[in-house]
Amino acid sequence: MATKILSVDDSRTIRLIVGKAFRPYNVTLLEAANGEEGLAVAAREKPELIILDVTMPVMDGVTMLTKLKEDPALKAIPVIMLTAESGRDNVLQIARLGVRDYLVKPFKEDQLIEKAGRCVTLEKKPAPTPA
Amino acid sequence: MPAQPDLNQYRELARRYGIAAAPESVSRLTQLVARQDCCVDEIVRVIEKDPGLSARLLRVANPRASDESEYTVGTVDQALMRNGIGCALLLAMGTPLSMALVKTFQTMLSLKLESVDVHELDTLEGEHMRGSIGFSGKVVGHVYLRMSSASAKAIAAGILGLDAAELGPDEIRDAAGELLNIMTGNFKSNLCDAGLDCKLEPPKVGMTDDLTTPVEPGGGLERLAFRADPIQIFIEVTANPFFD
Repeated sequence: MATKILSVDDSRTIRLIVGKAFRPYNVTLLEAANGEEGLAVAAREKPELIILDVTMPVMDGVTMLTKLKEDPALKAIPVIMLTAESGRDNVLQIARLGVRDYLVKPFKEDQLIEKAGRCVTLEKKPAPTPA
Repeated sequence: MPAQPDLNQYRELARRYGIAAAPESVSRLTQLVARQDCCVDEIVRVIEKDPGLSARLLRVANPRASDESEYTVGTVDQALMRNGIGCALLLAMGTPLSMALVKTFQTMLSLKLESVDVHELDTLEGEHMRGSIGFSGKVVGHVYLRMSSASAKAIAAGILGLDAAELGPDEIRDAAGELLNIMTGNFKSNLCDAGLDCKLEPPKVGMTDDLTTPVEPGGGLERLAFRADPIQIFIEVTANPFFD
C-alpha cells in the first residue's frame, strides 16, 4: 500500500518540488491549493501526513491546522509546516496548535524526506528492471 | 516584547525545527527602528559596527552615485540625519531578503548567487519579468523582483529540475512568484519579531517594459543586484515605517 501524503500549497512550484522529492518512494501524493481544499481532501482521503503552507488565499494554513485539530476524525494526522515564515509568534502559535515539524523555505528535498520519514514509513520504489 | 517563557520556548522550537536566526546586528537594528523613541546615535553605533550595513546605507543615501568617489553623503551619521529612520529600516529588511535569495539559489538551484553593485550588471531594457509583493501594517512598502525572460526561465528550470524547453509561461511566472514569497516571508519574520507587524499581499508577476519604481510617500528605496552567470537579478525594496 502506498503512503498517502497531502501537499497543501498555493504555489504549483512548491507542489511540483514536493512531488519530485517523493517520486522515488511508494507514495500517493494528493494536492490542494488552499486550506479549504486541503480540509476537503483530508476528510475524503484520510492522508497519513499533511505538508502545509501558511500564507495561502481562501483559507490559510493556520486556519486549516486549527480546523484539523478540532476534527476528531482528522486531528491525529501529523502535519509538517512548510513555509517561508519563521517569525517567533507564528512558530509559537503553530507549535501550540500541535504541529509535528516545521520546515522553512528555501529547503532541500532531502530535508523534507528526512522530516516526513520521522512521521510515516517511506518505502523506496523498486528499481526498474532493465528491458 | 514577549514574556521570557515565550522567548525560551521559541528558542527551543527554533533549535528543534532547525530555524536559523537573523544576524545579531540586523535583529538589533530592526528592534531599534521599531522603537519610535529610539535615539539615532544608538542606530548609528549598530550600523557602524557592521561594515556591510554601513556600505549599504551609504549606497542608499547616495542614489545617483555610480561609485564611492561620487558620494555626497560620506558617513553613517550624515546618512541617517539626511534620510531619516526609513533608511535604517531598508537595511533591516534588505539583509534577510538577500540572505533568503542567496540561500534559495544555494539549496534549490545549487548555484552560488553573489551580491554585486547594481552598476556592475547589464541594464534591463525593454520587456522583462517583474514580480511584486506589497506589505502593510506598522511598515508599508513593496518588494520588486526584476529579471530578463532568459533569467526567469533559467531560474524556473533550476528550481523545478526541468529542462527550460519544457516550461510554459505559467510555470515560469509561478516559480518567480514563489521566489518572491520565500524572500519576503523571511524578511517579514524579522520585522514581526521586532514588533513591526505587517501582512504580505499575494505576489503579482508579469511581463512589463516599465522600469519605474513607485516609492511610498516619505519612504526610501534600496536597489540590490545579484549574479550567478548567466542569471542576473534586480531587487528593489521600498518602505515607509509607522504607516498606521
